[in-house]
Amino acid sequence: MPRVNVRLHGVFSDFAGGARSTTVDASTVGTAIDALAQRFPSLRERLRDEHGRLREHIGVFARGEEIQHAGGESQAVADGDTVHIVPAMSGGG
Amino acid sequence: MAKGVAILVGTRKGAYVFRATGARKRWKLEGPYFGAEPVYHVAFDPRDGSSLYAAVNSAFGGPRIEVSRDLGKTWKTAQNPAFDEPALTFKRTWHIEAGHASQPKVVWAGTEPAGLFRSDDRGMTWTHVPSLRAHATEHEWSPGAGGEGLHSITLDPTDPKRISIGISVAGVYDSADGGRTWTIANRGTRTVMPVPKEVQHHRCVHHLVAHPTVPGVRAQQNHVGTYWGANGGWREISAGLPSDFGFAMALHPGDAETAFVFPLAVPERLAPEPGAAVWRTRDAGKSWKRLAGGLPRGARLEVLREGMSTDRLDPAGVYFGSTTGDLWASADEGKSWSLVAEYLPQILSVGTATLA
Repeated sequence: MPRVNVRLHGVFSDFAGGARSTTVDASTVGTAIDALAQRFPSLRERLRDEHGRLREHIGVFARGEEIQHAGGESQAVADGDTVHIVPAMSGGG
Repeated sequence: MAKGVAILVGTRKGAYVFRATGARKRWKLEGPYFGAEPVYHVAFDPRDGSSLYAAVNSAFGGPRIEVSRDLGKTWKTAQNPAFDEPALTFKRTWHIEAGHASQPKVVWAGTEPAGLFRSDDRGMTWTHVPSLRAHATEHEWSPGAGGEGLHSITLDPTDPKRISIGISVAGVYDSADGGRTWTIANRGTRTVMPVPKEVQHHRCVHHLVAHPTVPGVRAQQNHVGTYWGANGGWREISAGLPSDFGFAMALHPGDAETAFVFPLAVPERLAPEPGAAVWRTRDAGKSWKRLAGGLPRGARLEVLREGMSTDRLDPAGVYFGSTTGDLWASADEGKSWSLVAEYLPQILSVGTATLA
């Protein structure tokens, strides 16, 4: 299983008690997010809704691309890749 | 814990707590809590005298409920309310209500989409009450301008099985069996749009309130009209008010015929000329008095549905917060007003904690 870095930005670091990065075993972006939520249970409901869908206003980047423009959560990740969890630059309130 | 009153203020950017002694003259700020996150409601639990429940509806990380056991000094995140139906996703919490005195661990929450949730552990976990959305009218509920929210929850002070809720746009629904079954309770209220006479839902209740100690006493501010509960239905009490539109309403804790409203002119949804005023009835809506002593003349403030509250002292304190971030207090039942705070973020809710 590839070892993947996950970096938490903005409020997602706050929700994880201040952690900014961690390393998880994952083969896709989705499994990396799930592994992250397992490590930081306080992140689980901040990242996904009650049906397991990724929440709105979250930007997830892997291999230099936002995943919604690539393979979504099923996008494969390789050893040493970094997944970034970023508060989406949206809204304006 | 000092005796006195705490004003619990939810704003577009965080929650604020203002504390004072029973004289209610000098207010000390605590907070803000939850940084830049919108807080739709902060509810006090009078049963333990120290719990607060905050409806934090953040865009980033989604909605959540925060619970404090020390009047806001520290907070713990609850497990989210969750819908089973895939078509429904918990979007925000509109209102949190401490349960009946005989059920010290029960807390209720109203959400968007319109759902009623029950906690049996003082707010830390939540269970959907599916019977409400199983009501035969559910497929005709529709969102108001603020969304399809269950924004009001009231309890009968003597019978824990009697619960009422308000949904925009659907109306008031009552349960007499602890939330197992629901009946429409809109008789006597008008509709915004014409509907067939037999349609008893599709009512735009804006805020439903019930007296904390006298069973059966309740009132509502509606999109079209202000109403007093009467004979199982509603009696319109808009006559004598400058507008039949508004959001905020509060009942007097000691006098079951006294209520306060903050009418808004339409279409602008601001206090009508000559400016901000609370209107008070002392006879269950038969007559109204305009109360503006100390309020800024000409200021056409706007107050939202959770934006006004009373405390439990005698004389009763009345409080309201405006969308322009001004928090006002009256320690003499509305006769005179003083500014507690200004330049707060947009105020979404004003609650109170009367501290023994």
